[in-house]
Amino acid sequence: MSLTATFNTTLASLRVEPTRRLSWRFLWVAPLVAALTITTVYPGIFLIALAVSDSRLGKPFRAFSGLKNLAASLGDPLFLAALGRSAAYAVTSSTVQLALGLAIALLLSSLVKSGRILMSFILLPLMTPPVMVGIAWKLILAPAGGLLNGVLMNLGLTEAPISFLGTAGLAWLSVGVADVWQWTPFIAILCFAAIASLPGDVFEAAAIDGASPWQTFRKILLPLLAPQLAAIFLLRLVIAFKIFDLVYVLTFGGPGFHTTTASFHIWRRALEQFDVGRAAAETLIFTVVVGVVTLPVVWLAKHTAKAEAGHA
Amino acid sequence: MHNPAKKAAELLAAALTVAFFALPIVFLLSVSFKTPDDVLLGRFLPTAPTFDNWPTAFEVTNLTGFIWNSVIASIAAGILTIAIALPATYGMVRLKIGKAWLPDFTLSSYVAPPIVAVLPLFYLLKSVGLLNSLGGLILIYGFMNLPVAFWLLAPFLRQVPVAIEEAAALDGAGPLRTLIRVVAPMIAPGIAATLLISIILSYNEFLLASALSQTDAARTLTVGVSLFQGERLQNAGQMAVASLAGIVPVYVLALFGQRWLVKGLTQGGIK
Repeated sequence: MSLTATFNTTLASLRVEPTRRLSWRFLWVAPLVAALTITTVYPGIFLIALAVSDSRLGKPFRAFSGLKNLAASLGDPLFLAALGRSAAYAVTSSTVQLALGLAIALLLSSLVKSGRILMSFILLPLMTPPVMVGIAWKLILAPAGGLLNGVLMNLGLTEAPISFLGTAGLAWLSVGVADVWQWTPFIAILCFAAIASLPGDVFEAAAIDGASPWQTFRKILLPLLAPQLAAIFLLRLVIAFKIFDLVYVLTFGGPGFHTTTASFHIWRRALEQFDVGRAAAETLIFTVVVGVVTLPVVWLAKHTAKAEAGHA
Repeated sequence: MHNPAKKAAELLAAALTVAFFALPIVFLLSVSFKTPDDVLLGRFLPTAPTFDNWPTAFEVTNLTGFIWNSVIASIAAGILTIAIALPATYGMVRLKIGKAWLPDFTLSSYVAPPIVAVLPLFYLLKSVGLLNSLGGLILIYGFMNLPVAFWLLAPFLRQVPVAIEEAAALDGAGPLRTLIRVVAPMIAPGIAATLLISIILSYNEFLLASALSQTDAARTLTVGVSLFQGERLQNAGQMAVASLAGIVPVYVLALFGQRWLVKGLTQGGIK
C-alpha cells in the first residue's frame, strides 16, 4: 500500500469512523447525562430565570424584575446571617466529626475482632432516617420529660429543667450532637478503610525503634493519612452544607432565627412565604458560598495527594 | 503490645462509643412503652410499661400506608439508579467515554445542596403531571442518587482485571454482553452495596418529598412522621412508636446487608 493510500484510508477512517462510533458509544452514558441534566443543569438554568423574575409559588414568571431579587437578598441581614451560619456550621461540624471519626477508626483497628462487631453496630446511625434521629434526640432533650433533664435534676445538678432546644447556643449544640450521632460513624468507617490501606511494616518499624503511640500517630500515621483525611473532610463538608432535616425537626430554625441555616431560610421563603423569585436568588447565592468554601478544600485534597505521590 | 491498662482503656472507650450510639434508639424504644404521665417523669425506663401505644399509633394515623409508599418508592428508585449507573460507570471507567469531564461532572453535581433542586423539580413534575405521585418521586430519587452510585461502583469496576474483558472480547462478546455476563457477576457485592445504599438514601429522604409529594396517597414515611409532630400524635409514646416502626425496615435491610455495606463503603471511594 502506498503512503498516499494509507494516508487516505486513515483520513477516511478519521472522518467517518470516530463520529459514528462516538454516537453509539455515547449510549452507555446517555441515560446518566439525561438524568444529570434534569437534576443539575436544568435546575441551574431554571433558578436563574426565576431569580430575575417576580415569581410566586402558584404563579411563576409574573414579570421580569432584573437584579431586584439578587440585590434584595444581598441586602437582607437575616439571609446573610443564615449563610454565615451554614458555612460556620459546615466547617465546625466537619472538623469535630473528622477528629472523632479518626479516633473511633483507630479504636476499631486496634480492637481487631471486637472492632468488626463495633463497625457493624455503628452502621446503624448512618442508616437511620434523619427525621427519626431528630425525634429521638428531641425526646432526650425535651424540657418536660426529657431524659437529659430528668438525669440532671435527679442528680441535683439543676433545679429547673433546661430548654436545650429553646436557648440560642444550646440549640446549636443539640443539632451538632444529633449530627455527630448520625454522621461520625460514616467518617469512622472511611478513616478505618484509609488506615487499613497503609503498609503495616511502617508501624512495626516504628515500634521497634521505640516510638511512643503518640509519636507514631503524629509523625507517621497522620502524614501518611493526610491525603485521605483531606478527601474525607471534603466529602463531609459537602454533606454538612446539606443539613436540613435535623434543623426542621429539632428547632425549626429557632429560637428566633438562631439555628436557621441557608437551606432552611430558603425553604421558608419558598414554601411558607411563596416568594420563589427571591428564594431562587438566595439559592444561587448559597450555591456560590458552598463553592467558595468547598474549593479551597478541593485544592487541599488534590495538593496533599500530589505531595504524597511526589514522596513515594 | 500486651499492655492490660491499654486494653482496658480501649474496651472502656468502645463501651462508651456503643452507649452513645445506642442511646437514642434504646430511649425511643423505652418511650414507646410509656404512658403520657410516665413520659413526664423523665426516667430512662418506663415505670409501668404499657403496650397501648403500639396499636394506637397505627390506628390513628396512616402509618402503614406511609411505610409502604416509602418502601415502594425507595426500592424502585434503587433499581432505576443501578440500571442507569452500572452501564454509565462501566462506560466511563472502562471504555473511557466522557474522558475526565463526565466523571468530574457526575461527582461535582453531588456538591449542590438538595434545596437547589426543590423549586425547579417542583415545577417540572407539575408540568408533566407527576407532582404528588410516587412515580415522580421514584424518577427524582433514581436520578438524584446517581453521583453516589458512581462513587461507590467505580472502585469495584477498576479492580476487574482487563485480561478478563479481553478474553471475553476474543470470544466474540460485545462490551454490553461482557458487562452483563462477565463483569457484573464479578462485582456483585459492589452492586449489592450500591443498591442498598441507594434504597436507604431514598427511604430516608425528607426535603424533596416534603415539597414534591404533599397528598396522603403519595406521602412517604419521613414526611408523614414529621407531620405527626403536634398534629395527630400529641403523645410522645405514640410518636416513638411511629419513629421506630419507620426505622425497622432500614435496620432489617442493614442487618442482612451489613457485609456488603461495610465492603461497599470501605472499598476505597476515598483514594
